[in-house]
Amino acid sequence: MSAATETAFGAALRDPGRGAPAHLAPSSGRRPERRFSVYRNNVAVSLMGALATRFPAARRIVGEAFFDELARAYVAQHPPRSPLMMMYGDDFPEFVAQAPGLDEVSYLADITRLEAARTRAYHAADADPLPASAFAALDGALDEVRLALHPSVEVVRSGHPLVTIWAMNSGEAELGPIADWSPQDALVCRPELDVFVRRLPDGGAAFLVALAGGATLADAAGRAAQEARSFDLTENLIGLIGGGLVVAIRPSQQGDAP
Amino acid sequence: MTPTALPATSGVGFKPEHFAAILEAGFDGFLEVHAENYMGAGGPPHAMLGRLREDHALSIHGVGLSIGGAGPLDRDHLARLRTLCDRYAPESFSEHLAWSTHDGDFLNDLLPLPYTQETLRRVVAHVDQTQDALGRKMLLENPATYVTFAESDVPETEFLAEIARRAGCGLLLDVNNVFVSATNHGFSADAYLAAFPLDFVGEIHLGGHDAQEDDAGAPLLIDAHGAPVADPVWTLYERVLARTGPIASLIEWDNDVPDWSTLAAEAKRADALMAGAARRRAA
Amino acid sequence: MPARTVNAALAGSLLAALSIVSASAAEDKMAGKEKCYGVAMKGQNDCAAGPGTTCAGTSKVDYQGNAWKAVAKGTCTTMKTPKGMGSLEPIKM
Repeated sequence: MSAATETAFGAALRDPGRGAPAHLAPSSGRRPERRFSVYRNNVAVSLMGALATRFPAARRIVGEAFFDELARAYVAQHPPRSPLMMMYGDDFPEFVAQAPGLDEVSYLADITRLEAARTRAYHAADADPLPASAFAALDGALDEVRLALHPSVEVVRSGHPLVTIWAMNSGEAELGPIADWSPQDALVCRPELDVFVRRLPDGGAAFLVALAGGATLADAAGRAAQEARSFDLTENLIGLIGGGLVVAIRPSQQGDAP
Repeated sequence: MTPTALPATSGVGFKPEHFAAILEAGFDGFLEVHAENYMGAGGPPHAMLGRLREDHALSIHGVGLSIGGAGPLDRDHLARLRTLCDRYAPESFSEHLAWSTHDGDFLNDLLPLPYTQETLRRVVAHVDQTQDALGRKMLLENPATYVTFAESDVPETEFLAEIARRAGCGLLLDVNNVFVSATNHGFSADAYLAAFPLDFVGEIHLGGHDAQEDDAGAPLLIDAHGAPVADPVWTLYERVLARTGPIASLIEWDNDVPDWSTLAAEAKRADALMAGAARRRAA
Repeated sequence: MPARTVNAALAGSLLAALSIVSASAAEDKMAGKEKCYGVAMKGQNDCAAGPGTTCAGTSKVDYQGNAWKAVAKGTCTTMKTPKGMGSLEPIKM
């Protein structure tokens, strides 16, 4: 088709203020608006549906009607640039953070960051977690050891009780009052085939972020302790190794961070 | 001879929620998946598809290549399709006579194009390019449409036949799409099928549609894949089978996905019609 | 801290962690876990139309305007937040 025909069709699709494009055949009916609206509906509903599928907890928190208007505005301003719907909405959290009218649910952007990370983890590359025995064999310059984390690992930091709010709105926990409104950092990972969301202990986020950035075990532990005095290295190593978050050990002589 | 190695049986569009039921209850037919849902690096989608591939013939059905678009094909997407086809070696790869990408924006629907000599040349070039990129022949599917274009001067059946001849691809005949378009545009589905180049057809699609009305109160059918295959579509399918004999036939059910037994029953119905057609042709 | 001290501290933590991780791994083995395919998320690319209405895509996209009058009536009203219960009020236009 001519690029002009396509442009006119596409423009009419996305702007309900315009009528159907002018170059339709008579068999489309004398008033083709409703017929053309099928396409307009398909585009809007499928893209809004992709967001509803990806951000179910956020949708539950603000309600379907509100979420759908938020999604409608996002779709209009940020149409997908890729045909991979699984990745549509990667920058929805930034949009939510800027959206008006959400002051009362200031944690909503963090919830969408967590949900976006869950989809990425679901589709992340597979890698076999190292068993504990791989660490038992480590000796020598432990402080210089660097760890490669599982490709699914993401840390979502929050000033709100993120994991609790998410759990209550994703069927993982009963809805109820949250008495302790302390900040919670979340770990998202998929060591095998199930995606997990875990609340990180104090300093855990700094520890993981440092490791993911290529810091040595000693440096990562140091940075975590600097951020949180209560950082407990043993507890974090249990989570790291027992949780299957490590897929490779890079001994000291293998040079700098990736 | 069409470029597909799918068995002449029924098949179903695979939905993750049916994974356990398929393993438990067993299924003799082939499976079809939408390519774009398997373009992540890893995780459960590939684990499930890899497991099912051990027991089933596979059709990979693309929904996002925009073969009918005015712009160039997305080379990154072609590369992703190649990776997917190399990984699973499907018995068939197919895409749609439609467009969905314009100026880099993905509209996530199968949009219609006018049928002219100009668009014919472009679609043929795009099919050529796709087949070269994938290193295999493909099937191209007839669309369900809600509007048509004043500039179209080639009938859809002729348009598809000419693409198949020039590009050497096969065709995927969606019988529900034929019924939907025929109703929407007031032509005879039987006449359309009589003109359809069945020799090129490597697979048939059967799906449910939704019935509404347009502004003038005329019937407006929508290809919604959210219901059982409608009776008139089964009838058309039977008439096609009388001419082709048994042929890979897929039940598509993408919205309001039913439980496995309901979907499997639809597939069984297609198998029964194929068996009947085979008996009559042998007689 | 000198490297030797850091090393000793790390080694101590690692040893303690491994003893706990190994014990729970052994328990998993005893339980004979089956291959798990994960909780499936819905595939998002489809070749079908959305739910069959012709109107859902037609309401005007007006970022600051009427569309935002939709009143959030989600679960947040049952979660106690720093701003109290019933946290979401209709947006005032």
